[in-house]
Amino acid sequence: VARCAVLTNDLQYDLVNKNEERRTAVETFTPKMTSFLAEMRMLGVPIVHLQLINKEDDPRAERYGDWLPVTKGSDGARIIAQFLDDKDIVVEKNKDSGFYETDLDERLRELGVDTVIITGMQTQICVQTTAADGFFRGYNVIVPSDGVVSARPEDQARALEWLRSYCATITTTDELVQAVAAGEVPQFEVVAIP
Amino acid sequence: VSGLIQLDHGTGGGMSQELIADLIAPGLGSAHHGRMEDSAVLSLESDRIAVTTDSFVIDPIFFGNGDIGKLAVCGTINDLAVSGAIPRFLTLALVLEEGFPIADLERIIDSVREAASGAEVAIVAGDTKVVRGGEIDKIFINTTGVGELHHRGELGMRHVSPGDAVIVTSWLGNHSIHILSLREGLGFEERILSDCAALDGLVWNVLEEHPNDVRCMRDVTRGGLGTVLNEVADGAGVSVSIDRGRLPIQHETAMAADMLGVNPLYLANEGCLCLFVDGEFAQEVVETVRLHPHGRAAQIVGTVRERGVNAVALREEDGEESAVEILYGAELPRLC
Repeated sequence: VARCAVLTNDLQYDLVNKNEERRTAVETFTPKMTSFLAEMRMLGVPIVHLQLINKEDDPRAERYGDWLPVTKGSDGARIIAQFLDDKDIVVEKNKDSGFYETDLDERLRELGVDTVIITGMQTQICVQTTAADGFFRGYNVIVPSDGVVSARPEDQARALEWLRSYCATITTTDELVQAVAAGEVPQFEVVAIP
Repeated sequence: VSGLIQLDHGTGGGMSQELIADLIAPGLGSAHHGRMEDSAVLSLESDRIAVTTDSFVIDPIFFGNGDIGKLAVCGTINDLAVSGAIPRFLTLALVLEEGFPIADLERIIDSVREAASGAEVAIVAGDTKVVRGGEIDKIFINTTGVGELHHRGELGMRHVSPGDAVIVTSWLGNHSIHILSLREGLGFEERILSDCAALDGLVWNVLEEHPNDVRCMRDVTRGGLGTVLNEVADGAGVSVSIDRGRLPIQHETAMAADMLGVNPLYLANEGCLCLFVDGEFAQEVVETVRLHPHGRAAQIVGTVRERGVNAVALREEDGEESAVEILYGAELPRLC
């Protein structure tokens, strides 16, 4: 039986509030996402929030005008309360992929996880890179199409198509809850040959 | 010498002398043959030499399987090698940013020594300058190389003609994808490594085994294969047709390129050559290339034709062709 973990990406105040498009997109996905997380917790699936922390000395960190969002310890860097539960795990990351120079891999292995359900914002950046990185590390990768969000729908559509082609099973949160409850988690098999 | 680089390390005074005498010269070890005078006086066996120069500004300066020091040596060696020259001498000019960690400089000098020694190339002259913080990013390196020409055959674009075959000696795009992935933490950096390597040995093997079959060799660096093919097609007044299915592109590289919206045909490489060879002997040449550790992925990727509508055409498996245009200003910065 697959041992799953849900990974969320960048569900943080500063990042979601960057612009109206992001706020609206996240507001729309929040009810479904929060209920999905609650059901996963009830099924005993660990929830790992990947928290982007920008380093002051990183010249590539995205600045909003003259200030740097999601710095360590700042209010804006916190995971949005609606998505967070006391028992959840928070893993700090400094780049797009949640595996990049973090202990995410070790922590998932300690939990016996072999399948990662990747969610959060934005589909075409952090979700996509974390999925690829997880795939390369040998995890079975699942992405629920209504558990990920992008400011622009066309970016999301393109990213989901890429994920489906190369490294992840695309499903929905409802289907995933049923599959996990039934112990029948889908395994990614088909890899598109470019 | 320890700590951080200071402006006085580049003024030519006592601190400069210390940096050179205590760190750079010992770090280069036996690869350093200079006398620390204003210029190096050198003897050569051949009456024909090749000279090239290149500057290296890669970001980040350390990557998964190399660094700017290795790159600066290998890049110049490869430029000499594809001219048919045996690389002999290099100069090494460093421009350092004030505050650059001396420990990092030590690592880079170690890499320079290792790469130069591996190719039996002597570092015969050098220079060190330091600029204020913010005036450059960490370290830039220039190397100038001198090679001896012993190969008597004629190499160059003008010798390429219809019927020749096109060989690519290694995976396309890996260096660029590795560096881009490191910059942003995209998750591909451990699966796709840079191809940075000195290819003088590979070139030597090819020219020794097939002295009359090689028309032209190019180092597939900035602008990628698409740019090299267009330059050769225009220079020789021919067209080149390549087959998509034959291009050596690692699966993960194709994934990353598709994600990033970049075309592997235009990505910079640092250990990949494009050879134009007599079509009749192309299979023998590619087999020689594959015997070398850096040539195992070599493929015959296309052919040279009479000049047609497209200077370079990419042929799909169903036979349909599209133009491989030359790039204008869309290159990714600081990959080498």
